[in-house]
Amino acid sequence: MNAIDKRDSRDRYTAGVMKYRDMGYWQPDYEPKDTDVIAVFRITPQDGVDPIEAAAAVAGESSTATWTVVWTDRLTACDKYRAKAHRVEPVPGAPDSWFAYIAYDLDLFEPGSIANLTASIIGNVFGFKPLKALRLEDMRLPVAYVKTFDGPPTGIVVERERLDKFGRPLLGATVKPKLGLSGRNYGRVVYEALKGGLDFTKDDENINSQPFMHWRDRFLYCMEAVNRAQAATGEIKGTYLNVTAATMEDMYERAEFAKSIGSVVVMIDLVIGYTAIQSMSKWARRNDMVLHLHRAGHSTYTRQKSHGVSFRVIAKWMRLAGVDHIHAGTVVGKLEGDPATTKGYYDICREDFLPRRLENGIFFDQSFASLRKTLPVASGGIHAGQMHQLLDLFGDDVVLQFGGGTIGHPMGIQAGATANRVALEAMVLARNEGRDIVHEGPEILAAAARHCLPLRQALDVWKDVTFNYTSTDAPDFVPTASVAG
Amino acid sequence: MAAILSTVPDPGPPPPPAPAPAVDLRADFAASGLPEIFDELDREMVGLAPIKRRLREIAALLLVDRARQRFGLAVGAPTLHMSFTGNPGTGKTTLALKMAAILHRLGYVRRGHLVTVTRDDLVGQYIGHTAPKTKEVLKRAAGGVLFIDEAYYLYRPENERDYGQEAIEILLQVMENQRDDLVVILAGYADRMERFFQANPGFRSRVAHHIDFPDYGEGELLDIGERQLAAMNYRLSPRARTVFAQYIALRRGQSHFANGRSVRNALDRARLRQASRLFQREDGPLSVDDLTVIEAEDILASRVFAATAATEEAAP
Amino acid sequence: MRITQGTFSFLPDLTDEQITAQVQYCIDQGWAVNIEFTDDPHPRNTYWDMWGLPMFEVRDAAGVMVELAACRKVYGDRYIRLSGFDASHGWESVRLSFIVNRPANEPGFALERQESEGRNVRYTTRAYAAQLPEGERYS
Repeated sequence: MNAIDKRDSRDRYTAGVMKYRDMGYWQPDYEPKDTDVIAVFRITPQDGVDPIEAAAAVAGESSTATWTVVWTDRLTACDKYRAKAHRVEPVPGAPDSWFAYIAYDLDLFEPGSIANLTASIIGNVFGFKPLKALRLEDMRLPVAYVKTFDGPPTGIVVERERLDKFGRPLLGATVKPKLGLSGRNYGRVVYEALKGGLDFTKDDENINSQPFMHWRDRFLYCMEAVNRAQAATGEIKGTYLNVTAATMEDMYERAEFAKSIGSVVVMIDLVIGYTAIQSMSKWARRNDMVLHLHRAGHSTYTRQKSHGVSFRVIAKWMRLAGVDHIHAGTVVGKLEGDPATTKGYYDICREDFLPRRLENGIFFDQSFASLRKTLPVASGGIHAGQMHQLLDLFGDDVVLQFGGGTIGHPMGIQAGATANRVALEAMVLARNEGRDIVHEGPEILAAAARHCLPLRQALDVWKDVTFNYTSTDAPDFVPTASVAG
Repeated sequence: MAAILSTVPDPGPPPPPAPAPAVDLRADFAASGLPEIFDELDREMVGLAPIKRRLREIAALLLVDRARQRFGLAVGAPTLHMSFTGNPGTGKTTLALKMAAILHRLGYVRRGHLVTVTRDDLVGQYIGHTAPKTKEVLKRAAGGVLFIDEAYYLYRPENERDYGQEAIEILLQVMENQRDDLVVILAGYADRMERFFQANPGFRSRVAHHIDFPDYGEGELLDIGERQLAAMNYRLSPRARTVFAQYIALRRGQSHFANGRSVRNALDRARLRQASRLFQREDGPLSVDDLTVIEAEDILASRVFAATAATEEAAP
Repeated sequence: MRITQGTFSFLPDLTDEQITAQVQYCIDQGWAVNIEFTDDPHPRNTYWDMWGLPMFEVRDAAGVMVELAACRKVYGDRYIRLSGFDASHGWESVRLSFIVNRPANEPGFALERQESEGRNVRYTTRAYAAQLPEGERYS
């Protein structure tokens, strides 16, 4: 097991600089234990740097090593604490980069702390000079570690039971314009959209408490709108009240107020940080609240394939940290998202066990050990005319969020909401009847539009809108697919 | 059914003269998947020649009926309820499974599953218990075939408050009004079934096909036994085969003989005896042959022989 | 008004043929179909009355449709919904739920407001129909 033979220990701990691979961070024979955390990195070494040495360096810098030998290692069970790079493979079709698999002993991590996990795995190592670029592609989180997290406070099943909504995707819309509406006008948009047929409306990521609208004002008008819409339809409605703020104290204050006025859901942004997210998750769990996470900021480190952290890893962390909703891409909409990769994100949110599927960018078998499921949210540049594609791609357990696709309807917000709801229900009905919705989709929508003027208008206005660009983050193991317009 | 009925043309204005429409029954038969079922039947089931013939007749009738529907010649859905009469172990349940498959392939039942029940599944213990029980069974059988074994137990004239009558009334109603939803097969001994039909003419009039299952001949029973053994990787030694033929001849003459089922029980006991014989042997390791072969002694130990021997001894 | 609980409330009322197809879909997924009825349509009225037990062993929608017809005969003046229940691990919950029968007239809901401190308002949703005793609400 120990790579460093006792006889060599004098050499190993002689003061000075030595190669990481010779310090025990490269162990090609190592068999990862069931309880190990395993990470796979995409490494792009500087010219002339050996990929195995680079992988060992990543293992070293993300665990016990520093740039030079330290005798104090010998005061610890250092063989156990050293991370072990055990596999290095070329990336298909990318001659300068490699996949490095590194195993970490469970004792390296504090139970139930995303902050501690990430401080190791994506701490110093991403700025390490011998590497041109480094990307964390995926992680295998052992059941023993998963079980130290509470996970989503509500989860898909309980959220549906609480909302009394089953068998179809939920519908939402982000209030637009993002900025500038007063509380009173803002609530108008919420009321119209919910009454027209949506289940949720949503604050945008950067709606907090600005000069044009104080947060309390927004919350009060929004709840008037929610309750009016509920009485008008007989259905449970909700609006994600964004409680993101400068300090935890402010966030708790806003969340408590949201609870006191009867909201079923609050919302936070990814930019508040992992610790704040976990704090809000625990608060939501204590207060029967659905917790919506907007992934604001993630593209700064998830989008480029060479450097950063893959969104699938963020999604895993967020399921552990405990959010009920997470934005996970639309494929057909305006934001980045290759279909095969996006499917991987959705599976991470919704499955209890996820087998290794390289074509979806899933590098490891992953069990979530009955942790509740996170409801993925598809948001950004989608409209009713794509309903068949959306339902086919994502199934029932997703929030389809039509912002512009609701509010931009020529006959108004209610009409926009109704168009989306009718399109959705018609498509679910047809799918359950066994029809091939991918191919018959436009026909099914046209038939539904015959008894629904708002849908007819929506299909007319947006019929030609597609966002067909090549993805920057496609899986490495199959050619990039793209959704036909 | 709905799909089939919807292809019936509208009785509108007379169609313009067209080339005489044709139907290829042989192609229909091949496309229906029935040949596989009949092959299975021939392969898996010994003898039963008259039954197999009846099954083919019924299939042919339904195939033609389907073709007639296509030309608008059929009048309403055909009655498909059946009665299977015969002694125990003559293959009624197995045939019912095949019948369900045939009806499913031809589109006369939507799912093709078989639900087997007896009186206890249909009739309750107290007032208000029977209707929900019967309806529960009918719901389970919807889309398939309901097989009521020993159906005559539903009718107990000696007890005028018997709840069976309630089940009978519900069954009759469903057999008449929900012919699209399920097919009922009533099964049991021929004589008792006949009395049942006499007492309940409603059933007789709703049953379209009566199939009588004869007892197996001795040769057929031996064949059945050998097939059962082969399926479990056993075989009879030549002498055991002779002895087993004698066993069948004797056993048939005794009471409670249940054809294939009695053969299976006898062989189960023979396997038990073979096992203890092998266990008691002290002459070294066993070969594959030892483990496979049933010897004459494994069968001769049966009390069927003992009883005969005793009778013979007792005889003057 | 028309209450829009359930999966297909924005579509024209489903025909029996359409209902049959949805029921068969549930059965084919391995879900048990359940029939429930109520005359209190409040959105938080979780427990509608059950028409018998969930049908765990039915293989064909016809079995359910017989029960639906029987339920309509008795409670045709009320709301009736069908739901598909999935007992598999990780769900153990309803997977589809839709209304298959409505009262002829749906009077809707009143929203009552009670003003309290700090501009806060306490809301109560009240079904007009529920002002009458159970059983007399839609007849």
